[in-house]
Amino acid sequence: MDTAIKFIAFDQLNSALDRISEQLDVWVPVASKDQKRVIQFAPYRPGMTLVLDHQTTLGPKQVVLPQVEALFRFDYRKSADEPSRQKVQLEDPHPPAPTLIFGARPCDVKGFLVLDQVFSAGPFVDGIYAARREQTLFATMVCGQQDSACFCSSVGSGPTDRTGSDLWITPIAAGYVVEALSDRAHPVMAWLQEAATELHVAAAGKVQEEAARQQVGNLAVDQCQQHFLQRFADTNYWQEVAGQCLSCGICTFVCPTCYCFSITDEMKDKHGERIRSWDSCMFFTYTLEASGHNPRPSRLERYRNRVGHKFSYFPEKYQGLIACCGCGRCIRNCPVSIDIRKAVQNLQGQNHACS
Amino acid sequence: MNSDLRSELHKKAEQAWPDLELLIGWQAGYDDLHTTPVFIRDSAEISKLIWNPWCTQNLAVYVAKHFAASSGKDDKKIGVCVKGCDSRSLIALLQENLVARERFYIIGMPCKGIVDLRKLHALSGAARILSVQVNAEQVALKSAAGVLHFPLDEVLMRKCRRCRYPNPLIHDVLVGDPLTPRTDAHEAYNDVAAIERLSLQERLAFWQGELDRCLRCYACRNACPLCVCQDRCIAETRDPKWLTQYMHLPEKFMFHFIHALHLAGRCTECGECERVCPMEIPVALIKEALNKITLELLDFEAGLDPQRVPPLLTFDAGETGI
Repeated sequence: MDTAIKFIAFDQLNSALDRISEQLDVWVPVASKDQKRVIQFAPYRPGMTLVLDHQTTLGPKQVVLPQVEALFRFDYRKSADEPSRQKVQLEDPHPPAPTLIFGARPCDVKGFLVLDQVFSAGPFVDGIYAARREQTLFATMVCGQQDSACFCSSVGSGPTDRTGSDLWITPIAAGYVVEALSDRAHPVMAWLQEAATELHVAAAGKVQEEAARQQVGNLAVDQCQQHFLQRFADTNYWQEVAGQCLSCGICTFVCPTCYCFSITDEMKDKHGERIRSWDSCMFFTYTLEASGHNPRPSRLERYRNRVGHKFSYFPEKYQGLIACCGCGRCIRNCPVSIDIRKAVQNLQGQNHACS
Repeated sequence: MNSDLRSELHKKAEQAWPDLELLIGWQAGYDDLHTTPVFIRDSAEISKLIWNPWCTQNLAVYVAKHFAASSGKDDKKIGVCVKGCDSRSLIALLQENLVARERFYIIGMPCKGIVDLRKLHALSGAARILSVQVNAEQVALKSAAGVLHFPLDEVLMRKCRRCRYPNPLIHDVLVGDPLTPRTDAHEAYNDVAAIERLSLQERLAFWQGELDRCLRCYACRNACPLCVCQDRCIAETRDPKWLTQYMHLPEKFMFHFIHALHLAGRCTECGECERVCPMEIPVALIKEALNKITLELLDFEAGLDPQRVPPLLTFDAGETGI
């Protein structure tokens, strides 16, 4: 099977992507024009410089679950038979094109495995998400750049976790070694011209061994589901872990597994769209009811919900799957450095005295 | 140097404690480069307090938003640690009668500047930062690629390099000795002046490029000590619906410019809006531009004198500036 392994020399990366992008929409991690440290996935265009040695600021979640997307377009038109009446005409969004996400990390892909449970695994299937997901391939890169906020190994993943990926990229001294992990990867492999040599494959093996040795994070998540419920009403605990929360939306917007959305009709004259847009459970308006009542009136209830959703309610609903990929983005980007690991780690233990 | 100041902070906090119900300060965060605010409600926890060039958060953000309405038990006060820039936010809140001076016990921290983590990461490149030592004016950055030495000044936050008020302008007690300001008002607006030198088209292109990255996470708003509309923001109201949920530029422009206009003559340039932005948009520049105008036209800087009424909170028929 070694013949199936391909190699892309560093200086051949763009020409390889040029060939692939003739066949598929390709998304790649690139630095923002003005702020080089802000790295996002963007549609590939010839000549782009990829950033493959850093975790991206935002993961590729938006490729399958965009921050804003039209669920359908609508148009109010006068009825020809009865001019006093208006008819609504609906138009579906365009069907998604085959897409390759190139250079994601295992944590990024793990995020989609969480989203899939909600949107496409059933019993309720979100047609738009499912169609796009079906058309999306992942060329994932073994991860060698953990920092102090990363904890992927703690949540059932790790720097060499291949689950959910279609192609597997290993950076070596001369370029990238690419393996196919799924049948869906074969057309892409065929567009790569250079076969990997035995030396390339051996070098890739070493990189992977080294990466696999990394235990990233030491958070214990056994029974966090129950521990959370025991802690639920312990206000002092939540004050301790999130009293400093500013209630902004960073943690949820940079999170590969957060999927809560809002639906609004955006109209101009007689035309409009029903759009789905990312929402954030950190926002006051998130659970604000029409009556004016808000069951989560303060940042403490909102932060508690974020922890509960990921580490208790979600695993309860979806066969123990924790809705966190350990990418550390919420920790790294929090303006006040709230650490979700600390919030989960200390769930177990003595309740604070109620005051 | 920091351990001495830290013990001094602990000592002064202990001394003040009998009059306090709560003390807001900084404690160590998830690694050596991060601090996180701490709310101390038990004197045994005073030892958690730290003071060093990583204490970046402006704790005045909690003052109006979390505690303005709280009334103390037995006349006890809320203690809060402030740097020079943070103290101006407190004064601005006092100027607007949003908080009462007697509710707070202010621990002032003369500040030589706060380290900008983004600059450290830019210097270390892809290599993981292992540790950073700050000794006097020098920084030693140890990463997987080796040790780098450079002047502290090079990695300070933009707001610190243009700092005019390193010493808290209001305080009940000071930790450490007062310091000399590094710039005057003239130099402080160099960054804005550079943008103003661009043509209108170039300026528009600059802001389009920058604001296009905005995620509408509203961290800039929530980290702002003077954004006090709280849960009544124009960005999120549904009735009237000022902004759509689209991620188009007009929505982002509208939000950021309303944010800035609401801070005209109020912003104390603590730089938190810019620091917290995950997309690294230099949003503080918009507010600095308004402050430059306020200074030139009305000879006013927010957050200097608690007794002075901000120009946009008053009406003076004899105003000569405009």
